Formats: sequence, C-alpha cells, structure tokens
Amino acid sequence: MTEPDRAHPMALALPMAAFFAVFFAVPLLMLLAVSFQGGAGGIGTDQYARFFADGLGGRVLLATLRIGLETTLACLVLGYPLALVFRASPGWARSVITLVVLLPLLTSVVVRTFAWIVILGRQGLVNSALQSAGLIDAPLRLLYTEGGLVLALTQVQLPLMFLPLAGAMVRIPANLEDASMALGAGAWRTFARVTLPLSVPGALAGCTLTFAAAATAFITQSLVGGGQMLLMPSYIYQQAIALQNWPFAAAISMVFLVAVLGVLALLAAASRFARGAARA
Amino acid sequence: MNRRSLMTSALTLGAMHLFPGMTRAQARPLVFATFTGSWEVAHKEAIVPAFRKANPGAQIVLDPMLSMDQIAKVRAAQANPPIDVMLHDPGPALVAIDQGLVEPYPVARSEYYKDLIPAAQEPMGPAGFFQVVGLTYNPDTVKTPPTSWADLWDPKYKGKVGITNMNSTLGTGFMVEIAKMNGGSEKDIDPAFKRIAALKPNLSAVAANPGALAALFQQGQIDIAPGNFNAIQIMKAQGVPVEFVVPKEGAIGFKTTMHVTKNSPNAELAFKLIEAALSPEVQTKLMEAPYLVVPTNAKVAMKGEVAKTLAKDQEDLMKKFVFQDWKTINLGRPGWIDRFNKEIAT
Repeated sequence: MTEPDRAHPMALALPMAAFFAVFFAVPLLMLLAVSFQGGAGGIGTDQYARFFADGLGGRVLLATLRIGLETTLACLVLGYPLALVFRASPGWARSVITLVVLLPLLTSVVVRTFAWIVILGRQGLVNSALQSAGLIDAPLRLLYTEGGLVLALTQVQLPLMFLPLAGAMVRIPANLEDASMALGAGAWRTFARVTLPLSVPGALAGCTLTFAAAATAFITQSLVGGGQMLLMPSYIYQQAIALQNWPFAAAISMVFLVAVLGVLALLAAASRFARGAARA
Repeated sequence: MNRRSLMTSALTLGAMHLFPGMTRAQARPLVFATFTGSWEVAHKEAIVPAFRKANPGAQIVLDPMLSMDQIAKVRAAQANPPIDVMLHDPGPALVAIDQGLVEPYPVARSEYYKDLIPAAQEPMGPAGFFQVVGLTYNPDTVKTPPTSWADLWDPKYKGKVGITNMNSTLGTGFMVEIAKMNGGSEKDIDPAFKRIAALKPNLSAVAANPGALAALFQQGQIDIAPGNFNAIQIMKAQGVPVEFVVPKEGAIGFKTTMHVTKNSPNAELAFKLIEAALSPEVQTKLMEAPYLVVPTNAKVAMKGEVAKTLAKDQEDLMKKFVFQDWKTINLGRPGWIDRFNKEIAT
C-alpha cells in the first residue's frame, strides 16, 4: 500500500471536521470567552462566582442532573426488556417493534409534549380514569410536578435508549449463550454472566444519549415542568433572553456543559468497571 | 470546461440558492417580527395586505417571536440585522432603545403619527396597538365573574389559579399591579412577593410563558388567571370557554410599539409597513372581530366588543387603563427575577 492511499480516508473526514470547527468549536470558544466578562466589564470569574454564591445555581444544577438521571434510569428499565424481546423475535416482529418505537419520533417533540398536557391535566385522561373508577375524589396534581415531567421525558426519549441497546443486543452471538447453557449454567446465570455484560456497551450508548437529551430538553421541561420548576435550560434562557445578561447565561451554560460531560464520564467509567468485573 | 471551472459554477449556483438576495434588487424581503399567536394572525390578515397594496412588488415575510427573542437576534447581528421591523412590549422597547438597536421614527414624514393619541406618540417607535391585561376565567366553572385582582386569593379558587413567571411582560406587569394594590410601587415590589406567597394554596400552575397559560385553560387545568384580552379571542373563537373582565383596579395597558431596526437594509419599506399599521383603515379592521385590537389612532372610533368590554373612546381608555413605569421596572427586574427564582420556583 502506498503512502497517499493511507492518507486518503483522513482527507475524506476534512469537510466534516471543518464544518464542526466553524459551527461548533468556534462558537463554543466564543461562549467561553463571553462567560469570563466581569460584572464591571473587565475580565474575571465574577459570573461563575455569582452562580455558586447563593446556593440557587447549585440547587438548579442538581435538580436538572437528577431529572436527567431519573429519566435515564426509567428508560433503561423500560427499554432493556424491550430490547431482549426484540432480540428474541423473528424478523417480521423486529420490524413491528422498530416501527412502534420509531413512530413517536415522526411527530414533533412539541406535539408529543402537548399530548402529555392532555394526559396529565386536571381533567386529563389519568385523572378522569381514576375518578370514574372511584379511586380518587379530587383530581391529582400531575402536571407541573417532577414525576409528571420524568414520565413525559421518558416517553419522549425512550427511542434514544432502545435503538443503540437493541443494536448491541442483536450483535451478541447466540452461540455464546448456547455454550454457557451447555456448560451447565442456568438461564439466569447465563444472562448475568454472558448477555448482560455484552449488552453494556449498547446500554451505555443509550444512557449517554438519553441523559444528554433529557437534561437539556428545554421544550418538554418548560411545557410539562412549568414556570415554577427552574432547571438549567430555562435558567439559561431566562438570563440570556428575558434579562439579556449574556455573560451570566454563558457562565451557566459552561457549568452545565461541564456537569453533563462529568456525568457522561462517570457512566463510561462505570461501564468499564462493570465489564472488568464481568470478566473476572 | 475543465473540472475547476465546473466546480466554481457549481459553488456560485449553490451560493445563489442559499442567498437568493444576491440576485434581487431588494436585498432581502422585509422581515417583520410580529408576536406569535393571535398577533401573527391579525397582522398577516390586516397589515400585510394594506402594505402590499401601497407597495406593489415589495417582498415581505412575518417572523413571529417574543419581544426579547427579537432583541437577542438583532443584538447578535447588529451590522446586518435579520429583522427590519420589531414589535415590542414597553419593557423590551426601552432595552432595544438603550442598546442602540432602533432608528428614530421619521416623525416629520409620517402621515399618521400626529393622529395618534398622545400616549402612543413615541418618537423612537410609535405604538400601533395596546395590549390589555385583565382577569380571564372559565365561565362554565366560575359563575360569578371576578371583579378584582384580589379575587385570585379567594379560597373558592383553591388549586385553580394560574399565573406566569416573571420572564414575560405579563408576569412582571401583574406582579407590579399586585405590589401597587398592597402599598408598593414600581420601585417597591416587596409587597407583591408577600402576597404571592399567600397565593400558593390557590396556585394550580405557574406557566413558563403566557402561551402555555392559554393551553392550561383549554385543558381545564386552571379556571382563572391574569390574561391578555387579545390572546383569548382566538381560543374563544375556537369554542374554549373563556371570558375576559376588566378588574375594578383597572386593566393593565401595555403600549405595543413598532420600530425600524438600526442598519436595516429595508429601512424605507420598514417605515412604510409601520405607516400602514398606523393608518385608520388598518386600525379599524384590526378593531373588528375576530382581532379586537385596541386602536391608537384617535381618528378610529371605538366600536363593537372593544367599546363594550374595554373603553368607549380614547379618553375613556386613558381613564380605565393603568400604565406602568417600565423605565423603573427595568431597573429592578433582574433582581426581582432572581428573587422569584428563589422564592416561587422550586
């Protein structure tokens, strides 16, 4: 193989890299620069100090990460069995499952979120059903609560968990499990020692996508969470738009970015640990 | 034709497709950033046809968004603003003027400016309309119409009241009104925060924006809320049970001003569009159903639902509407929003 031939594949990635640099890396650096504008106009860490000063910023950040993690967990709990079923299904059933999972993605997230307002409202589906069944006297408060928000986010983000998970599952060779069973392991032991560890990369990819999307889901958070539940995306919007305080909004964005990346790094570390433990 | 020249022509064609302005006399269509919802509908059906008639051949597009979103967009590209005509609530209008984003209105050349009622004559951008905030309620569940802002605290509305947070003009204006009723003012918001804390048992929802509040009415999540007279008209027309009433303290009036954006490539057409909006013909049409927009041109006689519910003429309007001092409000607002974040948000 000659030298130019090996250089070729990298060169093909150049347009994408250039696009990425111009439309992602440069704006991100500009955002970083804006976040270091001091209160009096100079350069400094005033904005970051303000974010952590009175406890509000920290509370908002933790609430946002918590909602992201709760949604990720709910998606994993719902998505994992579905992926197992998907793997065990014949081809036509796989197509049906894929279609059903993807169907919601074909409508806008705004529409899906509005559907949740209809479902969770005081006279919504859930409250009407519970009331006509005689289980409750007065309507429950579901909309504008953390539980309601996590529920809606779970439905909206589930495809992001299912798709990489199912993709990883179908790539696990069935003869590995057959070998495990043949060597005397039971169904549970085979699942715990073979299937589960091999599905971890897919689950991790799903968790990464779900967490990042759920924590930053501005539309669903503001429509189902409401104006009383202050989360990082709406905090950024409030400071950047309603108050036109760009330096502070930029600082909140940088803190949020680092926090989300931190959680994703922890997820990656956890999965390495899990795979290591499975091999031992 | 070699490979290189083929590439150049392809790139040029692509660029012309991406930036069609390169091939036209008018650098780009006139962009009018109206508000979303009922405003967009009203402006598309009343102002745009009048503008087209007076300026044949001129291209125009509506790009509806909230006031503060307009400011953010223009501020991010001041030398080449993506919007030619901005529409603003009183608070954002002052922000836009302060930041040097608007041109003074060519008052001397204007045909209609002198006919506007004095409150609407703003030299940095005249008020073409008023927004009116009062109490909105569901007549199916609220049999006796409310009469005062204080009714929101009535225990019979436990878990049925909706408000918006202070990000919006509506939310902030409402808080100022509550402060005023309880001994405060635009300078002293403290009484409003004390009263809002007492409203918590009644609160069913704190919406993120006035638009979300409308959806909550539709879903029966709330029965009563401070609301915008024009915003409910579309819902009413669609059969949603919702009524508007002017509280005895007076309806809150927000001057809605139109501004020519600084460095607009279409400054002359922008002026023409605002002129069309100020003309008695357009304002008369906007006052009729289903728009019911309050006119600011003194030559337009109040009629119909506007005369019945709001004010019978411009003099009556100045008596019945409460106007707030947004210069003072803007100074205090960042601190108030911080406080709202801490005390009301969870």
